[in-house]
Amino acid sequence: MPKTSNTDYDDDGLETLKRYKPRSLDELASRTKFSKKEIQLIYQGFKQECPSGIVNEETFKHIYGQFFPFADTSSYARLVFATFDLRSSGCVTFEDFLICLSTLCRGSIEDRLRWIFTLYDTKKSGKITKDDFHVIVCAVYALLGNVASPCCDLETIREHTTTVFQRFDKSHQGYITMEDFMSFCLNDTNIIQSIDVLRTIV
Amino acid sequence: MASVAAWLPFARAAAIGWVPLAKHPLPPPPFRISRPGVSPSSPSTSTTSATTTSIGERRCDEKIIINVSGRRFECWRSTLEKYPESLLGSNEKEFFYDEDTREFFFDRDPDVFRVILNFYRTGKLHYPRHECIAAYDEELAFFGILPDIIGDCCYEDYRDRKRENTERLIDDRLHEDDDKIQPKPLSSRESMWRAFENPNTSTMASVFYYVTGFFIAVSVIANVLDTVACGPDPETGYSRSCGERFSRQFFCLDTACVMIFTVEYFLRLYAAPDRLKFVRSVMSVIDVVAIMPYYISLFMPHKGEVSGAFVTLRVFRVFRIFKFSRHSQGLRVLGYTLKSCASELGFLLFSLTMAIIIFATVMYYAEKTVVSTKFTSIPAAFWYTIVTMTTLGYGDMVPKTWAGKLVGGVCSLSGVLVIALPVPVIVSNFSRIYHQSQRADKMKAQRKARQTRIRLARNATSNAFVAAKRRHEQHFDDSNASGDKNIVNPFESQHHHLLRCLELTTDREFVEMGPDMLMNSGGGASLAAGNSAMAGFTNFGSRSGRFLLHPRAWWCCKSRRRRKNSCKFNIERKNTNNANVSGDEIDAEIGDFQLPLTINPYNSSTLSPNIIIPPQEMPYQGNSTSSLQYNVVLHSNANEPLLPATNRFDLNLPLGTVNRTQLNRKANSLMAVYEHSSVNDTGKGESASKSDTYRARSPSSVSDSTFRRTTHVQIIDKDTHEAV
Repeated sequence: MPKTSNTDYDDDGLETLKRYKPRSLDELASRTKFSKKEIQLIYQGFKQECPSGIVNEETFKHIYGQFFPFADTSSYARLVFATFDLRSSGCVTFEDFLICLSTLCRGSIEDRLRWIFTLYDTKKSGKITKDDFHVIVCAVYALLGNVASPCCDLETIREHTTTVFQRFDKSHQGYITMEDFMSFCLNDTNIIQSIDVLRTIV
Repeated sequence: MASVAAWLPFARAAAIGWVPLAKHPLPPPPFRISRPGVSPSSPSTSTTSATTTSIGERRCDEKIIINVSGRRFECWRSTLEKYPESLLGSNEKEFFYDEDTREFFFDRDPDVFRVILNFYRTGKLHYPRHECIAAYDEELAFFGILPDIIGDCCYEDYRDRKRENTERLIDDRLHEDDDKIQPKPLSSRESMWRAFENPNTSTMASVFYYVTGFFIAVSVIANVLDTVACGPDPETGYSRSCGERFSRQFFCLDTACVMIFTVEYFLRLYAAPDRLKFVRSVMSVIDVVAIMPYYISLFMPHKGEVSGAFVTLRVFRVFRIFKFSRHSQGLRVLGYTLKSCASELGFLLFSLTMAIIIFATVMYYAEKTVVSTKFTSIPAAFWYTIVTMTTLGYGDMVPKTWAGKLVGGVCSLSGVLVIALPVPVIVSNFSRIYHQSQRADKMKAQRKARQTRIRLARNATSNAFVAAKRRHEQHFDDSNASGDKNIVNPFESQHHHLLRCLELTTDREFVEMGPDMLMNSGGGASLAAGNSAMAGFTNFGSRSGRFLLHPRAWWCCKSRRRRKNSCKFNIERKNTNNANVSGDEIDAEIGDFQLPLTINPYNSSTLSPNIIIPPQEMPYQGNSTSSLQYNVVLHSNANEPLLPATNRFDLNLPLGTVNRTQLNRKANSLMAVYEHSSVNDTGKGESASKSDTYRARSPSSVSDSTFRRTTHVQIIDKDTHEAV
């Protein structure tokens, strides 16, 4: 008789056990721009944080948050997660992760800009509006947390959004398409250089 | 597998028995039979064993070294490959292969790994009881082993622990949600509901709680005293009850209580978040049942024919005692227990009914022959069986025949068993729920303090990180200037670079927080978690708004006296600027923000690179417990986005008094904040003697010394004193 009350727990205890095993090291190495050694390192770190081999949004936020003291990283992490979650299934396997990472770290400048565009395009509508920009600027400012000075308020963020948006939206049509975005960024040496600055040695 | 391998000679030897039966000549043996580890099946066909040995010889025989956090384990590759779904059994382990040391390295807990490796060896997974269930689960997930494989010896244990843990986590999450809701400004209705549910929230709530409790007690006592005999009736001579003699007083009392209860009920109904749910809840039904009899009797005509019904209605007044369950945790726990034991109770009832019917039937037929027996029918015999089975035994019905006595005996014995068996389940459930609620209460009391401590520790860690970053940048600039490149941790430096990029993107700078800020902040991270970006933004905005509304939040207010001074100081600042030693710098930075900041000389942290200390504003105080106010110039990098940090930390300046002070301040800012070592504790003489030590130090290493802070502080005071 006491068993009956236990069964619910049994069921939900087992449900959570999803596990994912990536394909072979060689295959991954050939599909991405990482060397075997790098993939090993990345996988080790990946496994360490999410033993099941799958990242969901919560874990992702948690991991991302570790890099920013005091900050509220959830919004930015959510946006980044959305770009990694290619099948929009709510979880990212190591392969998805690695392929995206390979694009970001080792991909061509166009690939990276394309990624930035998808990141900014929060509604997945194919064009970036000012609202999208607002969301992303908010998320970036939220990364600062409350340890930054001078303290940033709504006004600063709005201002920042407007400045940036106007810089991109040259024809004043109220939105930015992928082409506009790419052509603008490719012509801006500052952006190209800054993107390069964020390379990471694994 | 190794153990099985040892039996292979036997299996092969026994295969000699097949030889006479063989339809074909047996194939030749493999060349080397040096440890033929493993064939997964039996060695029945030597062909398979031969192929595995020749082709997969290297694989089968290979010993694998697994290094788990420094502890080395060795095992056969074949042993691991028994479970190809797991990490070690599949090629997934190649991700952890270290070519240099030729071993698989895992940065995991070696103690738990022992259990896991044993699983590969023996095929049985055990649960080490002393391990935390969460850690064990994580380890199993890491190595890709399903917990279902846990052997029967440990499975129950594992399940129990897991269930316990899940419950606890759910509990905690609920409480966290509570905490999260708390800071929200509540509407009067919500706060009223909270007051009803939780009498500790305010004085009003607890007053209400005790008043209703008192009236419940009064009404119950009145209800009881109502029936007590109070002397004979002067008219009829019969004894009468108090209720009749003092009917007026009792009626007034009852009215008062019912009024209170009615008001209480309607207030609750008003405040309830979900009224329909509230009306249907058990507690609310009890409330209604407790007050209904009064109103019914009020509107019912006092006539003889209905008085019988009226009396039965009065019985319901006793339900008021259930209202106490709001006031008693134990009662509530009992209620939950009964609810959670519904199946056990159902079983009890069912088995009792069964036994009663069986025994009553048998008793009836056994006693049928006796003249003027009380066992007139089977339902009549029910009473006897119930009384016997519950071991009451009134003795008003007694079997006369020997068969009846025999059945009666068996009946009473079986009654003990039937009733006693389900009881422990209920008891254990009760104690579990009771302990849980006790624990929740205790947790509630401790949570606040614990959370503050956790937050403090976390913030201190983050602070230390910011300090490390600043130190690193300083160091980096330093080594740039001097030309030598120190080897730094690439991860750390890249992380710092990441944050630096963020700083430049947002045109802000990370600063360390003072202890007051440490206390106040940190909720931020959890506050907006899980919200959408826009919701997160509103949170964010409101947070900054709070700061804007209360600029004082930026000030570590420690001394009012000082604060007044600082106001004056701010006004004077413009005048004193250029007279300062570092006046040139200020001219160059007109576009910079100027923020009044309070710096605590010994425990402060909120420091930005350029600090201008007007000498006349540094009154030396022999006892410098009060905080001093300085103007701090914070950099805005709007115009020069990639301003090299060297400009900010100009360490190559000659060590003038003010510069040294500045350096000291910087160094001081890097100190851990939670150390509140008092300046006053160290004597003056000590500081003087230590100051030489300090001077011998190179400026770049100043920042690295955290343990000498007290000394530094003293020097600052000394220096500034000299400056004055």
